[in-house]
Amino acid sequence: MNFPFNRRSFLRGMINGTAVCVALPVLNRFLNGSGTAYADGTKLPVRFGTYFWGLGLTDTPTGGTRWVPSKTGYGYEIMPELESLKPVKDKVSVFSGFRVIGDGRPNLVHWSGHASILSGVAPAAADRFDGPSFDSKVADAIGTATRFKVIDIDASASRQPVSYSTRTGTTFAMPETTPLVLYQRLFGSAFQDPNSDDWKPDPSIMLRQSVLSAVEDQRQALMAGVGKDDQVRLDQYFTSVREMENQLAMQLQKPEHCQACVVPTAPKDTPRSATVDAVRANTKALAKLLAMGLACNQTRVFNFVHTAGISETYIAGESKIYHQITHDEPIDATLGYQPETSRLAGLVMQAFGDFLIELDAVKEGAGTVLDNSLIMAFSDTGYAKIHSIENIPMFLAGRAGGRHKAGQHVHTTGESVTRVSLTAQQLVGVPVGEFGTGSMRTARPITEIMG
Amino acid sequence: MGALVLAGALALVGITPAQPPDQPSGKGTPTKVALRRITESQYRHTIADVFGPGIKINARFEPEKRVEGLLAIGSAQLSVTSSGFEQYFALASSISDQVLDEKQRATSVPCKPSNPTQADDACGRRFIEAYGERLFRRPLTESETLARLKTASTGAKQAGDFYAGLKLALTSLLVAPEFIFRVETAEPDPANRSQYRLDAYSKAARVSFLLWDSAPDQELLNAARSGAIHTRAGLHQQLTRLTSSPRFEDGVRAFFTDMLQLDDLDNVVKDPTIYPKFNQSVSDSAKEQTLRTTVDLLVNKKRDYRDLFTSNDTFINRPLASVYRIPFASSGDWAPYTFPQSSERSGILTQVSFLSLFAHPGSSSPTKRGIKIYEIFMCLPTPNPPADVDFSRVQDSTKATIRGRLLDHMSNPGCSGCHMRSDPPGLALEHFDGLGQLRTMENGAMIDVSADIYGVKLVGAQGLGKFLHDDPRVPACLVRNVYAYGAGRATGAQDGDYLSNQTKAFASDGYRLPDLMVQIASSPEFFKVVVPTGVQHPPSATTAATVPLQKSGGVRQ
Amino acid sequence: MTKEAPIRRHLIATAVAAIALAFPGSAAPQQLSPSAKWTKTYVVEWNEPAMYYGAKTGVTDPGTDCPNGTNPSPDWIQVLVDAGYTLEEAKWLRNPANPTRSPVHGQNQMAFRGKDRANVYINPTSTPDPGLTPVSGTIAEGLNLDDDENTGFTSPTGEKGIDNNFYKALGCWKTYRGPHRLSSGALTFNDAMRDGAWTTVIVVAGEGADPMNDDHVKVGFYMSNDKMVKDGLGNIARDYTFRIAPNAKYEGILPARTSNGRIVSTVPADIMLRDPSYTWDLELLRARLNLEMKSDGSLTGYVGGYRPWEPVYRGWVNARGTVIEVLTWVQLPAVYYALRRYADYSPTGPGGEKTHISYALRVDALPAFVMAPDGTKEVATVESYKAIAPKEPPRPALPFQIVDGIVPDPTGKYQAGPHAVILPPRASSDARQ
Repeated sequence: MNFPFNRRSFLRGMINGTAVCVALPVLNRFLNGSGTAYADGTKLPVRFGTYFWGLGLTDTPTGGTRWVPSKTGYGYEIMPELESLKPVKDKVSVFSGFRVIGDGRPNLVHWSGHASILSGVAPAAADRFDGPSFDSKVADAIGTATRFKVIDIDASASRQPVSYSTRTGTTFAMPETTPLVLYQRLFGSAFQDPNSDDWKPDPSIMLRQSVLSAVEDQRQALMAGVGKDDQVRLDQYFTSVREMENQLAMQLQKPEHCQACVVPTAPKDTPRSATVDAVRANTKALAKLLAMGLACNQTRVFNFVHTAGISETYIAGESKIYHQITHDEPIDATLGYQPETSRLAGLVMQAFGDFLIELDAVKEGAGTVLDNSLIMAFSDTGYAKIHSIENIPMFLAGRAGGRHKAGQHVHTTGESVTRVSLTAQQLVGVPVGEFGTGSMRTARPITEIMG
Repeated sequence: MGALVLAGALALVGITPAQPPDQPSGKGTPTKVALRRITESQYRHTIADVFGPGIKINARFEPEKRVEGLLAIGSAQLSVTSSGFEQYFALASSISDQVLDEKQRATSVPCKPSNPTQADDACGRRFIEAYGERLFRRPLTESETLARLKTASTGAKQAGDFYAGLKLALTSLLVAPEFIFRVETAEPDPANRSQYRLDAYSKAARVSFLLWDSAPDQELLNAARSGAIHTRAGLHQQLTRLTSSPRFEDGVRAFFTDMLQLDDLDNVVKDPTIYPKFNQSVSDSAKEQTLRTTVDLLVNKKRDYRDLFTSNDTFINRPLASVYRIPFASSGDWAPYTFPQSSERSGILTQVSFLSLFAHPGSSSPTKRGIKIYEIFMCLPTPNPPADVDFSRVQDSTKATIRGRLLDHMSNPGCSGCHMRSDPPGLALEHFDGLGQLRTMENGAMIDVSADIYGVKLVGAQGLGKFLHDDPRVPACLVRNVYAYGAGRATGAQDGDYLSNQTKAFASDGYRLPDLMVQIASSPEFFKVVVPTGVQHPPSATTAATVPLQKSGGVRQ
Repeated sequence: MTKEAPIRRHLIATAVAAIALAFPGSAAPQQLSPSAKWTKTYVVEWNEPAMYYGAKTGVTDPGTDCPNGTNPSPDWIQVLVDAGYTLEEAKWLRNPANPTRSPVHGQNQMAFRGKDRANVYINPTSTPDPGLTPVSGTIAEGLNLDDDENTGFTSPTGEKGIDNNFYKALGCWKTYRGPHRLSSGALTFNDAMRDGAWTTVIVVAGEGADPMNDDHVKVGFYMSNDKMVKDGLGNIARDYTFRIAPNAKYEGILPARTSNGRIVSTVPADIMLRDPSYTWDLELLRARLNLEMKSDGSLTGYVGGYRPWEPVYRGWVNARGTVIEVLTWVQLPAVYYALRRYADYSPTGPGGEKTHISYALRVDALPAFVMAPDGTKEVATVESYKAIAPKEPPRPALPFQIVDGIVPDPTGKYQAGPHAVILPPRASSDARQ
């Protein structure tokens, strides 16, 4: 099978004379129709990621808020549950007051919140989305020039691996759940060091391509006589086959030098534990590998789950899990909020802080990987005690190569969460004008933060 | 439009059912009624059957999905993600390398090439067709074979090695959707052209996966090829053969792993400060204990299914013995053991597997256990909690026991509706903590294990065991599960009469599981075709000829 | 584990006896083997010599037991000079860079410090007593072995007459000194035991109705081939099952009585246990015990007696004297002299050579199931299994050979010994051995 690509569609980004990781030639097969995936040849490649944590942050109807800053705009004050963001405050924008509008559909607990943020519509059933998650659109737009279109990670050590990335609404991605497994995927035997001097094309790759072409040839025969739902699932299967072909094609080209890329050593396997501390440590270790995976241009898009919507984490030694505490704990009469729940929320946010700091620790060009990325962080709920889908905490972290005027607090009353989703997509160059369905349909991005 | 298509279907009268599906012509083409991803254990069993038990399989399999209580139903909703495909691809390469290893190839390749440094289409074809049939669970079409032959010869030329070409061909068979997915195909019924029936190979696969959790063996494939499987006698012969084999145990294990949700035991975490005895070895042992108990009771001893809830004959090993706080009197790994009355245990409800799965990392959970008892053993799922529960009114309880705190919370009318139903069976199990250890006191207070299940009063696990033993919904639920598991789809109102008849037969037969599986697998309903929506084909007719053509519906064979 | 034998058994036995009496000619059914009314069974999860750490902090700090703290490391260069080597030779021998010093087995020449360069490890009296600082405090853990309140230490709880000269002699030595479970020796040996090197189980059985207060109790120490299992916190897990492995040497049975949960032996006896040390054999003459059955189910206390002291010394020597001296900061001949000095018991009577020294082993044990040797039932009584013990297998071989306390290198150019040339020859001469 031949891939008719040519190296003229090659981009090189230079900033202040420092070479940084560059885009690999784009295969014609995977360019979107408008070809605007690379807007401006002098801009650096931007990365996009989602970061999800379960059980929200503390903001009670009776008045106690532990995360919404009182100031809007630049220079928002660091609230108690956001302590961990202090070191990277200038690169993080905070969004408060955004909500899910279900248009009559019931609030499916620990599900409707983030399903709406990702797919733009409140889902009808609790194990599916009613549309693809928008990270898949981002992957299609900016993820085709790297070995992996997208990397999915789950740090939560939950019973079942957790992923909210879906193209079909029913099948979700299979995430990497431990540092060792992520390392093997990113830097294992199939990794080609972009800075290695003795790269040679591997002849066996073309043979592997022939294996896949034998499978692809049967596509039509297989699709005949298949029902609608099954067609969708088979389409996903064949998409996966093509992504593997893309990977193999990438491996046939010499990768460009990546000054920021330093191949890490394999991490040790750690025992599986779902305590808050263990999940935090897992998040940090995974973030470190992810940051280097981004710097080495193995992927440009990722989805990271810290804890699931129905989080299973707990403080070691306590018999109640965090989720149960959010419901059981009464509001303290003097404080106006649930103190133990708030403490746990702060601990969970520590992991988000660790995550961002790891991305900020890898220098790239004149800045860091975080400067060249945009991460949308969000939860499944606002006030977890009552499964509220009002005021779901959302953040945009990273400067997106300069396009994100970061460090602002944007507050609204009752606007749809999809505005933030739309803004995120536009900031990374997805050619979309609107996002969402019904009352959550919006064509208005949050321009205050767009450069 | 319908008439044209129907005419096309009638034009197919000449086709004999034993031929493999041809290239699509657009008219009366066999319909693919289901696409179910094979499970990890089915994958492993198939590879061991086809290539021998020495093949090592080291890969991560994509997570499965439980729908309406069964992974078997969820398998019809799964696809393969790109990360998952990478794993399948790497695994397929690894298996091919092992199969065509220099030492292995004498046994694994049925012929010798004329020149081992070059392609050999004749020998290559024999290899591809033989293994292709076992892996695709039906003979390959000519175009499927040719595609792999092309791969084999390209590879042989490039590498200067015939076997290198075979490796690639085998890899492409192992990553093909026809292997990874169970493609169930329906064809026009020769006895009644307006109706559809499952084709012979799809029937063989259903029987084989139900009874042996693996792809059909050569004998079963031959029964499909000859059409014997379409006949009562031929089908019965195969069912008897499969259930008499020691491999039947694999099928029963796979079924109960699904129904009892034991697959989750691989991922249970417990808080080591509260349950220090728990570790991976304990959870692996717990799964094995439950499966051994079930197989011994239902297959080896052919006892009454309902005894699972009351019989304390089981098996333990040394790590489990420490959790159950009993001596382990054996020098082997596993030993039979019968819990005495005084242990308060009652069958599988009080084994570490059930008790630790449906609990929290640091405590028991009557609510979880109650919900699962209804869901798993009585086929009564519990609705999701409503979003608008006013948790602001839930008082913090100061009662010493979990039972006390739950009952306090139940005073909230928003909660009591569900909890009054779901909690009582779990409350009866409160003498067992989150790991499954016996404890009669909690925070200095004696734990009350009395429960009221819709007016039936019972005490403790043994009371609950007797309740489940006597309730007619329990065997009915097993019947439903066997059927849903084997047919791979959720049941509905339309299956009510069938399931009810099967349950009566199950009861009059003494509630014996092997006979139930044979009974169900030999019933026409087991191979019932349900044409999915959106297929551009003659829709299937319903059973009675007088009922007008509907968009989609069931067809009897 | 506690088990109450059903009353039924006694009724049956009585009935059987009655039948046998009523029908003298009838074949009396086999008598049931005698079993106790109750048994409690344990596995030893920690054992170390009874000591007493007299400081409030740290592991080697000065305290009432050793006012100058743990004995410091000898100045090895000075030791060699005192033994007759020149300063240059001494520095050469102690230099880690020089080729005659093995990074694993130490400097073999250190052995040869005695008169005429005798090997002091196997011949400790060939060198004058270097002097091991003994314990100077008055408190010690252990047992009153001679029923005399006036001899010995006072226990930390105030009991007088604790005979523990082993502690007196060696208690300031680094390998033994420290708070419970923290001395380097205790850590080394217990880590090995808990990782499966050996298992000791304890069976307590009594005739009375109340285990906590019973005048007729027996305590048995046995070996098991089943390994202990660690739990999620790194402690030994409770409630595992261990089968007694009859052992021709390591078995100890003592008669005792219980009072408010405390088990105290009634008649001293000679026993042998598995020592947590390189010595392995812990022979205890006139052994006693004092163990407490705690409310959490565990067992803790002391078993002690007079142990032969020379095997203790030999055990250290045979673990490579060169290594032990440097790692544990001691001159081994000093250990020999100290043990000899404080040995306080002669098995042949008051006038005989004091070959034994008073000693106690501190034991912590957790509830466990203990099965009789055939593995099919729990032990119901304390009895001896020495008669059915197999011949003792040889101690597992090490990957290297220890000869006279050092590891000679047969292929080495340089061989340590009384006539070894220490310093390398000058460039011109060629006097290597």
